[in-house]
Amino acid sequence: MKRPILSHLRAGVGALALLVLATGVFAQEPIRIGWLSSLTGPLSSAAIAENQGVQFAVDEINRAGGIDGRKLELITRDTAGDPTKAVNFAKQLVFTEKVHFIIGPVNSGESLATVPIVARAGIPNLVIGTVDELVDAKKYPNAFRVINTNRQWIDGANTYALDVLKRRKVAVIGDTSGYGTSSAKTAAELLEKAGVKPVYSVLVDPNKTDLADEMNKAKAAGADVIMPWSAATGLLARLLNTRGDMGWNVPVVGHPALMAPPIGKLLNKPEYWGNTVAAGYVSTTYDAKGKLPANTQALIDKLHDRLGKSEIDYMLWWVALGYDTVRIVEHAVRQAHGTDPKAIQKVLANTKGLQGVYATYSWSASQRNGFPDHQIMMNQANSFKDGAYRAAR
Amino acid sequence: MLSALIAGLATGALYAAAALVYNVMFSTSKVLSVTTGHTAMLGGVFGAWFLQAFALPLPVALLGSMAIGALLGALTDFVAIRRVLARSDEHLWLLSTLALATMVQQAVALWWGTEPKPFPRIIPQEFGAGVFDQKYWLPVAVAIALAIGLELFYRGTLYGKLFVAMSEDIFAARARGIPTERIRMFSYVMAGAMGGLAGFAAGQLTFAYFALGLTLTLNGFIALAVGGLGSNLGALVGGAALGILSSIATYYVGGEFQQTISVGLLMLVLLLKPEGLFGTRNVRPV
Amino acid sequence: MKRVAILLFAAAVLVSLPWWAGDQYQLHLAALIGAYWVLIAGLNLVVGFSGQLSVGHVGLLAIGAYAYAILAGTHEWNVWLALAASGGIGALCGLLLGLPSLRLPGFYFAMATLAFALIVTELVLALDGLTGGGVGLSVPEFPAPFDTAAGSYWLILGIAVIVTWLTWNVARLMWGRGLIAVRDSMVTAQAVGVPVFHAKLVAFVFSGLTAGLGGALFAVMQSYITPDTFLFELGLFFFVCIIIGGRGSILGPFLGTVVLTALPELSAPLAKLGNFFYGLLLLLVVLLLPEGIGRLFQIGLERLRPQRLGSMPIEPQPAQLALAIKAGQR
Repeated sequence: MKRPILSHLRAGVGALALLVLATGVFAQEPIRIGWLSSLTGPLSSAAIAENQGVQFAVDEINRAGGIDGRKLELITRDTAGDPTKAVNFAKQLVFTEKVHFIIGPVNSGESLATVPIVARAGIPNLVIGTVDELVDAKKYPNAFRVINTNRQWIDGANTYALDVLKRRKVAVIGDTSGYGTSSAKTAAELLEKAGVKPVYSVLVDPNKTDLADEMNKAKAAGADVIMPWSAATGLLARLLNTRGDMGWNVPVVGHPALMAPPIGKLLNKPEYWGNTVAAGYVSTTYDAKGKLPANTQALIDKLHDRLGKSEIDYMLWWVALGYDTVRIVEHAVRQAHGTDPKAIQKVLANTKGLQGVYATYSWSASQRNGFPDHQIMMNQANSFKDGAYRAAR
Repeated sequence: MLSALIAGLATGALYAAAALVYNVMFSTSKVLSVTTGHTAMLGGVFGAWFLQAFALPLPVALLGSMAIGALLGALTDFVAIRRVLARSDEHLWLLSTLALATMVQQAVALWWGTEPKPFPRIIPQEFGAGVFDQKYWLPVAVAIALAIGLELFYRGTLYGKLFVAMSEDIFAARARGIPTERIRMFSYVMAGAMGGLAGFAAGQLTFAYFALGLTLTLNGFIALAVGGLGSNLGALVGGAALGILSSIATYYVGGEFQQTISVGLLMLVLLLKPEGLFGTRNVRPV
Repeated sequence: MKRVAILLFAAAVLVSLPWWAGDQYQLHLAALIGAYWVLIAGLNLVVGFSGQLSVGHVGLLAIGAYAYAILAGTHEWNVWLALAASGGIGALCGLLLGLPSLRLPGFYFAMATLAFALIVTELVLALDGLTGGGVGLSVPEFPAPFDTAAGSYWLILGIAVIVTWLTWNVARLMWGRGLIAVRDSMVTAQAVGVPVFHAKLVAFVFSGLTAGLGGALFAVMQSYITPDTFLFELGLFFFVCIIIGGRGSILGPFLGTVVLTALPELSAPLAKLGNFFYGLLLLLVVLLLPEGIGRLFQIGLERLRPQRLGSMPIEPQPAQLALAIKAGQR
């Protein structure tokens, strides 16, 4: 017996309806996050650690069922620290992959190029570069900075050198890379604003094999504190070695790279790392009892569950920063009930005191720097233990 | 100021060693290989690796780094020179050695990392010796020893005389039955080992750093061109002049114009005395 | 006829790209290839035709890019004037670099251009009042209708076509032959009356002009330039594009540019290998295929469509021969 055509049709329509219903309820469109990371090339160590945090947060959220039933899909692109590649990949993520968020890039030179492009496309961008010029509420309303600014690092170090150590004769040493020249300039400006003119300032090629002249000149100029602004670990290690070999017990206060674990291995003697203070974070500083803030400790415990019990041998704040960027995405999507860029922008611009691991974030209509000044903490460079540091006295 | 001079001299000695490596390769093949600086880079990187990861005794690590440098020398000859010299096109060797150098540098960057890594103390000595520190004097001593050794080698040994014969006239040498291919291979192995030794000796000065190769290829070449192509004395003088000049310039002007000044020196010498300070004018275009 | 048809087809494909390209990213890549090509087309006359191995054209690219950003951005010049000026400044710097260095033999010249690229980076960092130093400069967009992805693509396409046409003319006329003679044997070229130095210098200054133009276009595509953008590796990349494509040809280097720009974008493992991949390609081409991939293409074409030489059997003609011999004897 033949079934009437209508019944076929009805069955078909029914199946279709079910399918539509099913996709609507169970398989909503995933939230795509573009992650521009320089996993190879210069500064890859920071990016690799940040990548751990990002991956970890994405897995954690997905295991808990995603955000409002939507899974996270992480699309990672390795820019190798090259601005040209970063621009290409930013366009690829925006136009081909049609991501809902972009995190990164890591290096300032890359970010300066990609932020305007992502802004023009109107995609929310979580910025993790420190150069001050990067964010601007008017020009790039959708770019929100998660990390601190360069100025905040420099301010923290200057305040420590001038107010805690009570030094007035500052020698500023930058390197000739893009980052080094601009940081050294900002440092000198901020010092002069505080009424202190550096007694000596110099830019050094990051691969220069010897810093004896510069240190001797600083000493001759009567410097009583050395402030290096460079991310080049080789240069910083040479500076500390020269100071130690000269037997000059002058404090060195400056860039966070001063306390990067690889520096320790480049030093002639371990004690050369003493009397060295670098800008760090409250979130990764042990208190008097040797305890970390609760949020940080919770993240470490979770990391230990995943990576085993061995000591963490990289700087923990990079992981915390990466972890927080994804948590900020979660916060924004939950509050905005979706991924509409305009709604996301509104939510983020009205975020006050969002608790993260790395910091507590607040953005406003005119302020796109989310990191609060008071969460910078000066650390003792040689106090590295399990990813975190002791406070400088 | 004294420390600036000594540091400049030490860096200059490394440039001079690179210039000597150029000279040895050039003598048998009339090729200036871009891989010159990379032999020294490998010497530093592998020296640090042998000494630290395997805790090898010093002589073994030193020989190991020289062997790695020699390997790159042999590879340069085998891959980049042998097939190319047979062709008439005179620029192909520049392309092939550039290609090989690029590959070596990137491979080291991927394996070793892009951050400089430490090079351990070779001779027991207190830090704080100032200008008497071994990191300054080791490269200087090695560069001088290499130059003297080369002169003795050229004058006193049969192989050395074969090198000289090939550098004077390769066709005549071949006609007299000299196995030019084998001698050239030997010269490249020797040059590579010299580079490895220089990189090892300068390890404490430069750290074990992947990008050192190209810097040395360029600055070693400047030293060579200033001193005069083919002259070992010229290589020493050119290297020392370049190192000290750029160190003094950095001392007075700051680090921003380092490269500009050293290239300025090169251009000046090439305009005033194109064959270099100690070079011989050798015009033979056809 | 056939050649005209192929040209028309290629033109139609290139012009209509914005409509059939997948998205703006692919269009961006196409425009980037165009900007690179403007530089490479000029460099091709230097490297591919006159045989001067310049690895430092990234320095001239940077000069063009900064000239445009400073003139059109900081000084708010008219954009087209700034574009023309960046070409002119590129040519001037090409002249300043070429005058002393083109007198040098091959390796010396290559090292001089390498040093030039490093000096440009050094000066860009040192003159931070002008160039923004390490922080860099924002680059103004082209005005409407060239401010969209498609608009800027068409503009770059137009400039690239003009530059290609110029180089094509140079290549096929006496000039190009003279340059090739300089490349293959300087002595012979001199002997037959090619003004060697003059020819090399003109080609080099022209390449400076296109590098300046290319730099300005590249800067607009980047929208922001810092010294980190102009790595030495980029100069190597331009150079490799030409060698791999094939020296002495225009199509070859063009294909080289397209393939080498697109490949790392399509394949992440290749992007990770980075310079190793370029080095390997360069080595393989130099060892196995010194004429470049373009030559492979040509051979393939000939295989597909063998040239008809026509069979002309030659019959012996004793009678004529006898006559000729007699004539000779007389």
